[in-house]
Amino acid sequence: MSVDSLVVELLSAMTTAGSLFIIAAGLTLVFGAMRIANIAHGSFYMYGAFLVSSIVSSFGGTAFWFSLAVAPMIVAAIGIVVEVTVLRRVYDKDHLTQLLATYALFLILADLGLRFWGAQSRAVPAPAILSGSVRLGVASFPIYDLFVVGAAIAVGASLWALLRFTLLGWRILAAVEDAEMLAAKGTNVRLLYTTVFALGAFLAGFGGAVIAPLQSIDTGLDASIIVAAFIVVVIGGLGSVAGAAVGAVIVGLFEALGILWTPSWAPAYIYLAMIVVLQLRPSGLFGAAETT
Amino acid sequence: MVKHLVRTGLAAVSAAMLTGSGWVVPAYGADTVAVALSTTLSGSIAEVGRTGLRGIRMALDRINAQGGLLGKQVRLVSADDGAFPANGVSNVRHMILADKAVAIFGPATSAVGTAVETVAGQYRLPVFFHMANDIQITTSNFTKYAFELVPNTVMEPRAIAYYFAENVAPKAGGKKIQIATITPNYSYGRDTVEVFLKTLKELKVNFEVVAQEFPQLGATDYTSYISALLAAHPNYVFAAIFGGDLITFTKQAQGFNFFKQTKIVGFYDQVPLRVLGQDSPDGAIGWNRAPFWAESGPGFKEFLADYRAKFHDAPSAWAITGYSAAQVWAYGVRKAGSFDADKVVGALSGATVPTIRGEITLRACDHQAEVPEFIGRVSAQIDPQYGQPIYSQTVAIAASKTMLTCAQAKSRQP
Repeated sequence: MSVDSLVVELLSAMTTAGSLFIIAAGLTLVFGAMRIANIAHGSFYMYGAFLVSSIVSSFGGTAFWFSLAVAPMIVAAIGIVVEVTVLRRVYDKDHLTQLLATYALFLILADLGLRFWGAQSRAVPAPAILSGSVRLGVASFPIYDLFVVGAAIAVGASLWALLRFTLLGWRILAAVEDAEMLAAKGTNVRLLYTTVFALGAFLAGFGGAVIAPLQSIDTGLDASIIVAAFIVVVIGGLGSVAGAAVGAVIVGLFEALGILWTPSWAPAYIYLAMIVVLQLRPSGLFGAAETT
Repeated sequence: MVKHLVRTGLAAVSAAMLTGSGWVVPAYGADTVAVALSTTLSGSIAEVGRTGLRGIRMALDRINAQGGLLGKQVRLVSADDGAFPANGVSNVRHMILADKAVAIFGPATSAVGTAVETVAGQYRLPVFFHMANDIQITTSNFTKYAFELVPNTVMEPRAIAYYFAENVAPKAGGKKIQIATITPNYSYGRDTVEVFLKTLKELKVNFEVVAQEFPQLGATDYTSYISALLAAHPNYVFAAIFGGDLITFTKQAQGFNFFKQTKIVGFYDQVPLRVLGQDSPDGAIGWNRAPFWAESGPGFKEFLADYRAKFHDAPSAWAITGYSAAQVWAYGVRKAGSFDADKVVGALSGATVPTIRGEITLRACDHQAEVPEFIGRVSAQIDPQYGQPIYSQTVAIAASKTMLTCAQAKSRQP
C-alpha cells in the first residue's frame, strides 16, 4: 500500500470519527449528567438531517449554511418539549422504566418522521465550495469530509470551553459527579437537566445536519447511528466528552484497519474495540467507577 | 454503570425485536376475501416495501373495480415487519388466523422471506415473493406453496456476469481485469458476489479479485471502505449494495473521484437514480429486476400513467413486481375457480401467466418465475419524459441462461 493510500485511509477514519464524535458528545453529556440512556438521541440525529433536506429543498442550495444553524435549534426545541413533558416524570424511576420511555419516544418520533417526511429517500447536495476534492499525491480526498472533521473539532473545542470556563459547564460537570449534592447547594437541577438535554438534542441535530450531504436521508437513520454512538460513549467512559472524542477515534481507526486487513471481519472490529477497552478499563477510558 | 448500560442496550435490542406492527385493516363486508402483505414499511428500506405495497394495492383496486374475483371483493391486510423475521412470522400468523387471509404476498428481505415461507407451508397458503430473492426459497427451504417472481440470488449475479463477459471483458485487450467487490454482510450479499465471481470464472474471463468488502446492511459511513477499494486499484468494482445504502455509497465515493478512477457495476434501479439525479455515475453498469422504462407487457403503459398520476413518481421495480404478483394470484384463483390454496397452487404450477411484465412462466419444479434480469448503462442525463435518469441501453438477460436446471434445483430441495 502506498503512502498516499495510507494517508487517505487515515483521513477516512478521521471522517468516521468526526461524525461519530458529534453525536456521541451529546449522548455522553446527557447520560453523564442525567443518567438517562437516551435511545431517542438517534431520532434527533435523523430529524437534523431531514430538516436540512426540507430547508434546502424549499430555499435552494445556498440555504445549507442557514439550515446548519436552524435545524439543530429546531431539534433542541423538540428536545426541550420531550424533556419537560416526558423525561421529567421518569427521573426517579429505575433504569428500565427510563429506557422504555426513551425507546417509546424513539418509536413515536420515527412514526412522526415517517408521517411528516414520507418514506422516500432524499439527498442534499453539498454547497459548491465544499464539493470536489483535494489531491494528496496520486489520491483524492473529499473536501466535504475535511469539513466534517473540522466541524467535529469545533464542537469539541466549544464543549471544552463551555465545561471549563462557564458556570453552566461547571454545573454540568458537578451534576455528572453528584447531582444530589448540587441540588442541596441550591442549583435548580430541573432547569439544568432541561438545558443539558436541549444541548444534547442540539448536538444530535447538528450531527445529522452536518452529515446530510454525505448520505441518503431516509427513515432508518435513527437506528443506524445509535448503536455505534453508544459504543463510542461506553469506550470513552460515560459522561466524558474527552472520552467520546478518543472513543470515536478508536472506533474510526479500528474500523478502517479492519477494512484494510481482514475485510470479511470488518464490521466486527468496532465491537472488538469495545471488548478490549472494557477488559482493560471497565468504566471506559475516561470514566470514573460508579460510587453510589 | 457500564453494566447497566450493557444491560440497558440488550433490553433495547430485545424491545426492538418485539416491536408490534401497525395494522391497516380497512372496513369490509361479507362478500370480501382477504389477502396478506407483511413487508418492511419502516426504517432504511421503507421506500422499497412501501412502493411494493402500492403496486399490489393498485392491482387489487383494479380487480375490485372490475367486479372482484369470483364475485368477491379483495381486501389487502398489510403490516410492517421492521425487517425482523420474528415480526414477519407473527404478522402473517395473525393475518391467517384473525383476518382469514387466503394468500400471502412476500416480505422485502430474504431473512424474513424464508421465515414467512415456512409459515405459509405450515398453514398451507400460497405465498408470492416479489422482492425477497434468496435461492433458498426455491431450493433448500422450498414448499410447493411458494412462488418466486423475481430473479433469485443465482440468476441475478449470473446475468450480470454474462453481461460483463460479453460486453466488458472483450475490451480489456487480453489484460487481466482487476475486480474489487463490495456487498452487504448477509446471505444476499455473500451469495450474490460468490455466484458472480464463480460465473466469471466459468465464462473464462481473465480477471483477479483485488479486494472484497462486506459492510453491514444499512451502514451510514462508507469512507473507509471507499478508500480501501481505491487503494487496491481495481478496474471494476462490483457493488451489490442497494437502495439508500447505494445512494450513500455513491455520494461519499464522489468526493474521492471514485468514478474517475474505476468503473462500477451496481444495483442502480429506479430509487437511487431518482435520488442521485445528475450525480448518478455516468456510464456505470446497472442492473434492475423490473425497470419501468423497459417493461412493455400488456397494460403496462396504463399502469405507468396511473402510477405517475397518483404518486408523482415513476414506479420502482418493487411496485411493478408487486402489481404482477397480485395478477399472478388472481390468475390462479380464476383458473382454479376457487380460493382454495391447493387448487390455486395446482393451477399456477407450470402455468404461463399474462402480467404487466409480459407472460411469466412459473416453472413447475421449483416455482421460480422465468423472468429476465435487466442490465444497462447508467446515464446521468435527466430523462425529459420521466424527470430522472434511466439506462442508455437496456439488455434483458433471459432466465433460460441463468436458472439452475430443474435437476439442480430438485437436488437441493428437501
